[in-house]
Amino acid sequence: MGWLGVGRPVPPAPAAALWLGAFLLPLAAWSVLSYVPWLWHPQVLIADSGGSALSQDMRVERAVFAEAVAQARADGVAPPRGERVNPVFLPAPHAVAQALWTGFTTPPLRRGDPWLHESLLHSISVIAWGFLISAVIGVPLGILCGAIPTLSRLVEPFVDFIRYMPAPAFGALCVAVLGINDAPKVAIIVVGTLFQMVLVIANTTRQLDRALLEAAQTLGASDRRLLTRVVVPGILPNLYTDLRVLLGWAWTYLIVAELIGASSGISWYINQQGKYRAYENVFAGIIIIGLIGLITDQVLGWLGRSLFPWSGQQPSRPSRLAFAIVTFPLRLPWILVRRARSLPRASA
Amino acid sequence: MLRILTIAILALATLRAAEPLKIAYSDWPGWTAWEVAIQKGWIKEVGVDAEFIWMEYVPSMEAFQAGKVDAVTVTNGDQLVMASAGKDSRGILVHDYSNGNDMVIGRPGIASIKDLKGKKVAVEVGFVDHLLLLKALAANGMQESDVTLVNVPTNDMPQTLASGDVAAVCAWYPLSGQALTLVPGSKPLFSSKEAPGLIYDLTVVDPTSLAKRAADWQKLVALWPRIVAFIDDPKTHDEAVKIMAARVNVKPELYAQALPGTKLLDLAGMQKAFTPTARLDSILGSSQAADAFNLANKVYEAKLDPAKFLDGSFIQALK
Repeated sequence: MGWLGVGRPVPPAPAAALWLGAFLLPLAAWSVLSYVPWLWHPQVLIADSGGSALSQDMRVERAVFAEAVAQARADGVAPPRGERVNPVFLPAPHAVAQALWTGFTTPPLRRGDPWLHESLLHSISVIAWGFLISAVIGVPLGILCGAIPTLSRLVEPFVDFIRYMPAPAFGALCVAVLGINDAPKVAIIVVGTLFQMVLVIANTTRQLDRALLEAAQTLGASDRRLLTRVVVPGILPNLYTDLRVLLGWAWTYLIVAELIGASSGISWYINQQGKYRAYENVFAGIIIIGLIGLITDQVLGWLGRSLFPWSGQQPSRPSRLAFAIVTFPLRLPWILVRRARSLPRASA
Repeated sequence: MLRILTIAILALATLRAAEPLKIAYSDWPGWTAWEVAIQKGWIKEVGVDAEFIWMEYVPSMEAFQAGKVDAVTVTNGDQLVMASAGKDSRGILVHDYSNGNDMVIGRPGIASIKDLKGKKVAVEVGFVDHLLLLKALAANGMQESDVTLVNVPTNDMPQTLASGDVAAVCAWYPLSGQALTLVPGSKPLFSSKEAPGLIYDLTVVDPTSLAKRAADWQKLVALWPRIVAFIDDPKTHDEAVKIMAARVNVKPELYAQALPGTKLLDLAGMQKAFTPTARLDSILGSSQAADAFNLANKVYEAKLDPAKFLDGSFIQALK
């Protein structure tokens, strides 16, 4: 246990175990709460009302149930029977797992409606478009603001003001301008992420080691070359991490974006199931979003370690190999060009 | 990209051709009933090019106010609220009225509305069930000042009743049912069944579209009695429930519970509702009550003329 303490690095094997524990511990807590009746279970689900005023399938507080039993005894009628349960808002893990499974395997109830995985893809495309548009504007603007103090003074106060405005409140305006299909949903994601992005990236840019800038200036670099050769490469690993974090924000805005205009996607599904109190489906939807977020983030993190080996975190050998395989199609034209150039010209 | 492009191209293409009528509808049994005509292919059958768009209630009103759809399904009270915000519309079709789904529910020991004198009542001030409470008090010779109002969001009514801090709560389905289940011994003191017509549910149309495409709107209105007959007929009731449940994406058994507190109107019922009276048995009377209520509760400032927003000619033309 030499790795337990402030600043002690964790060796790979315990690290993997800790990662697993991070998920298993909450799952265990949830299971215990759900399956061990005397821990919480504040309500009683009536199985048989007996001679009492309660009715079958009613969920009542335990005290109320005890009162009804005492009353029935006093009246000389059959007491009600029931079992202790949690409130309907906290479904048990197995019910959620089952809902996850049936969610993906049952065809849509309504002819022409999307399957669950199609709804998900639709949500992902809304997120992807919103985030892409944000990044196309926000990344260059953020870098420029961070690098050029004059621009920062001109742009950042207003951006700072607007980022506190609640994006969902622009829903009606987005619909009025952009119609009722996907465009207003994408716009909500853009409004929700763009302004944060500019400030976060500007700040990251300002963190760049000034010595690097000064050295390049001493060597006579122009402003343009400073930006392209020093600032951008210098902040790239941190910029990449910023975008990873900001992508998470985009998901939080999805839940409002999908409720404006024509209803669609995973968050409409969650909302609708909640309205009719099918909480196992609600939990299934939440878990799906969490899983997508986790997987995206892990993949992006791994990509980042391979893309920016100079950022300090060395990728392991198998991960370098996987990276080479994944990026092979992208590098292929480049490799071919190089090979063609280096081949000795066939002599006639 | 492809998806958005195709949507954009489709949107443009439909703009060029004769546009389909766009109707935004949302999750309330009377409006979800449109789904029967959609799924049974009746809309194509009568030769109307109409696109029904499923939305959340408030966003559907926003889309209508922004002119993105030609018609929307709303309550007669909310039609007035939209009008006060500058969006003119004509109610041409009435689907139903709330028939017991809205309730004033008393805690155990409270036997009647009269028992509420001097006690606290939880209500979402300015919403329909506030109107219901006023109606309940008036029916018992009381007024608002006889009780103490506590402003609580309708979604929290079941827990509010359970807390014991108030003597009664006002809520609509499914919250009213949940409150009754959560607090054994509690009971409905007054429900919309005793004040039928307090809330009518309409399809309202943009006046320009109505003038331009009157024949198409007439055909859609003519479908409604057929839809109601299909839902009410014991032979096809289960199929209707299945179709509607699929629209809201819940199991048919669960959805069937939402249907009884809504009184779907057949042709005679609709014609009666569109015959102007000063009472709640007509939409006009109900809208006048809603207008007075909205003014009293500062939902809007200037008095409206509800008759202007109703057009019964489409219903009256049906045989």
